[in-house]
Amino acid sequence: MISVHQRALAVLGFCTLTLPSLAQEKEPFVPQPGQFPPAGSGTYLAGELVIMDAANRRGGLRLDGNEPHDRYHRGPLHYFAMLPYGMITYNGAPAELRDIPLGTHVHGYFYVPPVGEEATIPPQPEDMEKYDIKHNHAVSLEDDFSFYQRHGQSWKVVSIDPNKGKIDVAPAGRMARDGINTQYTFDIDDVSKVWRGRTLVDLADIAPQQVVQFNLGWSPGWRDREFKVSEIWLDEASRTFATDLQRRRHVKYQKQRWLPGWIDTVEDNDFGGGTVTLTLFGGMDPSLYADLRATQDKGFGVAVAEKSLRTWFHRSDKKIGQVIEWKETENSPPGSSGIQVHMKFTELLDGYRPGRCVRVKSHAWIFVTMPSEERVKTIEERKRAAVFSIP
Amino acid sequence: MKSVATKSLIGPAFAFLSLLLALPTTLDAADEIATGFEQTMQPFFQTYCLRCHNAQKQEGKFRLDTLSRNFSDQTIAERWSEVVFRMNSGEMPPQKEPQPKSKELGGAVDWLSTRIREGEAARMARRGPVAHYRLSREEYGHTVYDLLGVYFDVNQPGAFNEDPRWHGFERIGSLLTLSPSHVHRYFRAAETVLSRAFPEQQPKSQKSRREANTGQESWLQEQGLTGPVRWPVWPGHGKHLVSASAPGLYRIRIQLSALPSFKGRLPHLALWHHQLKRSVVGLDVDAAEGQPKIIEIETFLPEGNFNVMNESPGMLADGQTPRVDEFPFVNTKISRPNRPTAYRLFNDEGQLIFPLLIVDWVETEGPIVLEADEKKRDGLIPAKDGDLIAARNCLKRFTMRAWRRPVTDAELDRYLKLIEGELAVGEKFRAAYRAAMVAVLTSKNFYYLEEGSPTQRRATVTDWELASRLSYFLWSSMPDDELFDLAEKGELHRPEVLRAQLARMLGDSRIGRFTKSFPRQWLQLHRVGAFAPDASLYPDYDKWLEQSMVLETTGYFGEVFSKNLPLREFLVSDWTMMNPRLAMHYGLPRPNASDLQRVSLQPEHHRGGLLTHASILSLTSDGTRHRPVHRGVWVSEAIFGRTPPPPPPNVEPLAPTPSEQPKATIRMHLEAHATHATCASCHQKIDPLGFAFDNFDAIGRWRTTEQVEGGQGDDPAVNASGTLPDGRTYNGANEFQQLLVQDADRFAEAFVEQLATYALRRVMTIDDAAQIKAITAESRIDDYTLRTVIENFVLSELFQKR
Repeated sequence: MISVHQRALAVLGFCTLTLPSLAQEKEPFVPQPGQFPPAGSGTYLAGELVIMDAANRRGGLRLDGNEPHDRYHRGPLHYFAMLPYGMITYNGAPAELRDIPLGTHVHGYFYVPPVGEEATIPPQPEDMEKYDIKHNHAVSLEDDFSFYQRHGQSWKVVSIDPNKGKIDVAPAGRMARDGINTQYTFDIDDVSKVWRGRTLVDLADIAPQQVVQFNLGWSPGWRDREFKVSEIWLDEASRTFATDLQRRRHVKYQKQRWLPGWIDTVEDNDFGGGTVTLTLFGGMDPSLYADLRATQDKGFGVAVAEKSLRTWFHRSDKKIGQVIEWKETENSPPGSSGIQVHMKFTELLDGYRPGRCVRVKSHAWIFVTMPSEERVKTIEERKRAAVFSIP
Repeated sequence: MKSVATKSLIGPAFAFLSLLLALPTTLDAADEIATGFEQTMQPFFQTYCLRCHNAQKQEGKFRLDTLSRNFSDQTIAERWSEVVFRMNSGEMPPQKEPQPKSKELGGAVDWLSTRIREGEAARMARRGPVAHYRLSREEYGHTVYDLLGVYFDVNQPGAFNEDPRWHGFERIGSLLTLSPSHVHRYFRAAETVLSRAFPEQQPKSQKSRREANTGQESWLQEQGLTGPVRWPVWPGHGKHLVSASAPGLYRIRIQLSALPSFKGRLPHLALWHHQLKRSVVGLDVDAAEGQPKIIEIETFLPEGNFNVMNESPGMLADGQTPRVDEFPFVNTKISRPNRPTAYRLFNDEGQLIFPLLIVDWVETEGPIVLEADEKKRDGLIPAKDGDLIAARNCLKRFTMRAWRRPVTDAELDRYLKLIEGELAVGEKFRAAYRAAMVAVLTSKNFYYLEEGSPTQRRATVTDWELASRLSYFLWSSMPDDELFDLAEKGELHRPEVLRAQLARMLGDSRIGRFTKSFPRQWLQLHRVGAFAPDASLYPDYDKWLEQSMVLETTGYFGEVFSKNLPLREFLVSDWTMMNPRLAMHYGLPRPNASDLQRVSLQPEHHRGGLLTHASILSLTSDGTRHRPVHRGVWVSEAIFGRTPPPPPPNVEPLAPTPSEQPKATIRMHLEAHATHATCASCHQKIDPLGFAFDNFDAIGRWRTTEQVEGGQGDDPAVNASGTLPDGRTYNGANEFQQLLVQDADRFAEAFVEQLATYALRRVMTIDDAAQIKAITAESRIDDYTLRTVIENFVLSELFQKR
């Protein structure tokens, strides 16, 4: 059965970017609040996650290869922000940016900044402008495990030479449109983690003909698109275990911070309150949507959130509304869960405005207080956080 | 309501009246009962009851054939009530016995219920040689104001007990009994009133001013703004800007802007008392942001602190969300919430969601002592301490006015002795004198209106009693000096004098008490809001709407009075009294001014006459839905002066529409319910009077479909058609009202009866029927104009009958 998460990711784009100039010509979609991108419109970029601002869902990638202009040696990182509905996947399960270890090679689909948010990723210095890629807002980010598994592509071990530190693999199954889909040689050494079932095993346990998934990382030959296997899963049990661990971590995280979405419409009453329609973002574990669906008769707490999905003090800065209608649609665009909720409130918050983000709480989830660094506490802090503070 | 014995008229055209209204006759009550019993009850009892409850057999040790028909005897009436109960509940006759048809049962129950009510009325109206009518608390308040110039808030918590009502009337002597609690409260009230009238130290009138911009210069400079800083007052919020150091008359001036909501709702300015936790003054205001207005309010205030409050609805204070007034405010363009976690105050088009008051400054002046009020106290206390002769004279004047009659020396001596006794134990002269004044105000002679003499059986009231009748009828208060003078001269009862005095009284500002109080009691407006509408079904309902509903109806009565319009204007009209809140509720254009004013109505507005007032339509509903039966009963009582029989016991409430069934209107449920024999006979008479208003929901809004919770399909269409028992049909409220106008004579008679009940403070009986009829007939000549009806009533024999 295909999960909501998989379904949401399945409609991601497949436009591969090699040169920034090319991308600018090919990319017609400019994200805007309240509008999900059309399927297949994102621009593909891959690289290693080098830095991250986990709270604000932003980071920097060292893009694969060396193009253009000897980028590997001289160019900057590709700094990016996740779109509010941007989905992150790690080890085959929904994730937060913080769940992806630095140094992990990831695949993403990107857009130019949403209208009015051009300053979120500050422009490069003048001498670096030639490296600048305008597509810096991600609708998805996936590690290799998740990316290839989602496409149905796995790897068959052709040969392994521990002494030389090389492993030859050939793609198996359905080929991914982006990424690597030909026979390839990766670096491997005794730092690489090898999983079988729930256990870490040795390089010696890797044998030809095994069908595996792996995550990649930096290799000295990076500029020539060489990668090192950082983690390899030899069997289905090991992959299921990894996915399940991440899934549990994700579910816990979302129950504490609530499911993100945005406001579609607001109708005010001049005697107080009004009705609000909101759409839940996609890419979450299905059990979370099921929790909301099951408790809709008790109403939902709706906290206002920033475009980074950070909240202020969500347990207080929320209003509880009654659900008037719960609507699910098939074939929703990337970023959307396809779930739209029409709610009635006796009081409305200023942040309930079309296109603005919210987080939605099920009655079944307990209230927790987020640590200070996750919360927005002042207007000044909010202004600061609106722009990626690049090191 | 009236328990006049009735005689049915034959003929289909009069069937409706005969069944429900039943014209009074001049037959002797006992004869009437005997005739009615023979015609209506005897055949019924013979067929269904007497076989088991007669001389030979007394099932349940009960014999019906010898049960007395003296319904004015309470013990007998209670036994008959038991009979009605058993019949109505279906317990009698027993299932195994022959069962009466619904019409037979209905007729029998109706006849007996009418007799029981007549008996009750006779008991309530029964008068001994001296009749006592205690002042209602409203009258107490007006009386002490007119006597001493002191405003005493009788509705203040703990001041007085709420007066018991009889069909809305709160001045019925037989109900206004006296308990130790009343005595205690009268004593406390007298102390308070006299301490305010004659304080140790006259409170000084003070002026104060609070200004929003004061002290904000540096903040404005920091912000680079020119200002001025203003106080925003959002719905449900207020600012402590007014204080009353002592109770009394205050003048409050407020400069403010008052901005409507994006839907045109005006802010409702109120003065909210901290200790009473309610507002004491309220009005809608309208003033552009750049063109603030100065609002001047002159009102009596109790002591304490007051918030200048925006009492418009809009709950904006849950304790967790940042307060709406936490940031300095300059104007609505720049002073907006800058946190998404704050309340949403402006819609997506940038318009104000809620009505907003923006206050610049508030000036308070008071307590203000009016010369006219001071004059009322002239000569009531001795100028010099220790002067017992002056004390006697002053006390005599005070007592005569307070008791509304001459005072005998013997009566006065008792109070003089009280002063002497106080002085003897060392009390100061003024305190001793005041003790006597307190005693006067706590005497039964003050808080009771007395009519009659213990030693003389009189058929009419004296001139002194007549003066009080007149003043309490029209002014809800004591007579003034002119009435006293005429009473003293024995001239008041003379028709030409009485007519002249009536004209003078109708032109006095105090007549406003009558034009507000009488319709409130007659139409039972105290029931408006008694069942607070369910907020989830009627989220738009608010306190000001509730008050506006009542204002429309009392204002409407006032308009009929001041323009001296015919009584039929109560039934149909092409105008009403409207304020902006009501206009919004009715979906009509907002009137130009923010206070209550007369507006013209068009047929498409679906309004006109009292019966389409939201007050009437909501007082006959409960908090969730309209109640056609209650509406029918109300029409029967208020318009025709007849109370239908009570419902049988153990009536199953209407069940909600089951989820698998098609949605059904209340009317559909009722019609199913009324198919039961025990229900049908009454419902056939009551329900058509209520169904006519099915186009109005529980809070009086026009609708064409009825919103139904549960059930399948669309909300069903309203059916506001019906057939009266006499066969006349109508479709909708308008046609029904036209049918009522055809019965204008009957309505006029019922109206006179209501007026008499209010004025004479007792229930009307068969003995009053002929006089009521005569007043009605005389008023017909002048097309039943309201003032003519009042004049004919005041000049009638009935008004002076003791």
